[in-house]
Amino acid sequence: MLALFGIALGIIAIMAFADPAFLKGSNFRSMAFQFPEFGILSFGMMLCMISGGIDLSLVGAANLSGIVAAVVILSTGGSIAVGIAAALLVGAVCGLFNGYLIGQLQIPAMLVTLCGGQLFTGLGMAITKGPAITGLPEQILVLSNGTVGGVLPYALLLFILIALALGFLLKSTVYGQHLCLMGSNPTASRYSGINNLHVTLLTYMTSGILAAVSGILILSHYGSAKSDYGMSYTLLSLLIVVLGGVAPAGGRGRVSCVALSAVILQLISSAFNVLRFNSFVKTFVWGLLLVIVMVAQSVIQKEAYQFLNIRRKNYEKDHQQA
Amino acid sequence: MGRFLTRKNLTRNEMLVVYIIAALSLMIGAVNSAFFSMGTVIDTARSMLVTVIFALCEMAIIISGGIDVSFPAIACFSLYSTIAFMNAYHIDSVAFAFFFSGFLGLLWGALNAILIAKFRIPALIATLGTSSLASGAILVISGGKEISMIPPSVDALSQQFLFSVTNASGVKSSLTVFILLPAALCLLFHFVLRHTMFGRGIYAIGGDADAARIEGFNVFRTQCILYMAAGLIIGIAAITHAILMRNANPSNLMGSEMMVIAAVVIGGTRITGGHGSVVGTVLGVLLITLVSNNLIMLNVPNYWQTFAVGLIIVIGTSITSLRAKRIALSPKI
Repeated sequence: MLALFGIALGIIAIMAFADPAFLKGSNFRSMAFQFPEFGILSFGMMLCMISGGIDLSLVGAANLSGIVAAVVILSTGGSIAVGIAAALLVGAVCGLFNGYLIGQLQIPAMLVTLCGGQLFTGLGMAITKGPAITGLPEQILVLSNGTVGGVLPYALLLFILIALALGFLLKSTVYGQHLCLMGSNPTASRYSGINNLHVTLLTYMTSGILAAVSGILILSHYGSAKSDYGMSYTLLSLLIVVLGGVAPAGGRGRVSCVALSAVILQLISSAFNVLRFNSFVKTFVWGLLLVIVMVAQSVIQKEAYQFLNIRRKNYEKDHQQA
Repeated sequence: MGRFLTRKNLTRNEMLVVYIIAALSLMIGAVNSAFFSMGTVIDTARSMLVTVIFALCEMAIIISGGIDVSFPAIACFSLYSTIAFMNAYHIDSVAFAFFFSGFLGLLWGALNAILIAKFRIPALIATLGTSSLASGAILVISGGKEISMIPPSVDALSQQFLFSVTNASGVKSSLTVFILLPAALCLLFHFVLRHTMFGRGIYAIGGDADAARIEGFNVFRTQCILYMAAGLIIGIAAITHAILMRNANPSNLMGSEMMVIAAVVIGGTRITGGHGSVVGTVLGVLLITLVSNNLIMLNVPNYWQTFAVGLIIVIGTSITSLRAKRIALSPKI
């Protein structure tokens, strides 16, 4: 957590030195509008990863939800609330579909969500027939572009609220405890009376709903819906979650770290925009960061393991002498 | 003949895929009688060519308990860099093209090997990272533009055919010589996986890495060789793709990992590792290719195709996974 904070401050310091335009209020404002989209997706990824799985269908589910919302809004004549409700429902159904295949049929999460992503994207494409759905009422833009009292963007507020809710869910509810236990050892959790199927279904459903929220934000951001928006978000959300210290094998993860790491990636992304790198460089750097973070964690883990081993050996030696 | 027609053989996973392929072919043939012709065979073989090579590598990696989603990016990187390099230095040699592209693939494979075997990063995350690195790098280098000029002696290979057939309406279809490449690789993979200690080691690691280590297999070395060899073969497949397409595109293979993994899994390779066969994989690729090539013939509109392919993949992988689970849970004597 402290390390992440240090990284964030470091990036700001370097950028302030490289280009003072980075420190402008307008730059930070635009960041606050941008990162909730993929930050919320990362929370979905985080939940699935804590459960010992992974969700590669998030972007597909997000776009499908956005498309359904757009279609519903257009067909009901501009009723945004109904559209949002429909999107959330679609997200939940997508998540339940994944959860059922993973929890009940025991198909590996990676395979299910990889195929699920294709399925959701394909369904979205079938609904839109290819081009983006446009012509939505102006009010929809407010979600991503409006602010509370001119200071706090709605999207950021939503991000904070979701982060708080998830923090509560993981730390202080029975479900949160069950999720972590199942993630660290599914066999042990089953023998201790946890309904693994139930936990898996809930986890992927929540992840699907979060994808839908993000899908609505994307819809509101672009003012249109299409099946191939935000394709780079899959890798980005994985990177955020891994940088946020969630164990890829499952069982561990903190909302605050993931939220902070989403902010860090937005800082890096904005830094690239200020320095006028093109988006291909970003793809490269995201990959590089992912590899570096994973290698660093692997090395640290090995060191820690060796340290514990040495201590244990010393302990055993002392006791033998005694 | 009677020995093959046993209940066990007829209900094998490979046979299930054969039944589905037969049913699908009959369906397409019923709608469009032009389907049953030598031309279709040649076209299908042509579109399967590169996919089969990718699928063989993916299969070996999945058998070893890993997964590789970086091969489309590695392939794009290798083929584009090779063609760009040869154009820049006016090198016009077939051997150099294959050697250079294979070498670049090998380097990326080595990066995968280090991340997975040395640092023990989960294969999916490691190869996603590699994929992003390779794809980002080649897009920066190319600026997203494709090269349509291929050195002449390399380009001439695309016009070398094994044989040609002309159908009733005068359309000529020719089978490219490159079909020998996947054919040879199929035999090679089958031989290595079934009849060498290295191949049995791949199965052993996929079944249980700890058990394999205790049995005396060098897990680290097996994984390293596997990922590097896969990189090399992908580099060679990549330049083949460029020659057949007659251009070097930095991104048109991206996204094919989905289809390849699906084909491998439908062919009976277990995603959890330890099981899989070359025959099954080739059949899986054949099924996926038939579906994606012929949906238009079945009057499926263009915009439904991603969904239709996705649906078939979900159903296919679910069935094989469920069968694998049932076999794993069934009592063993």
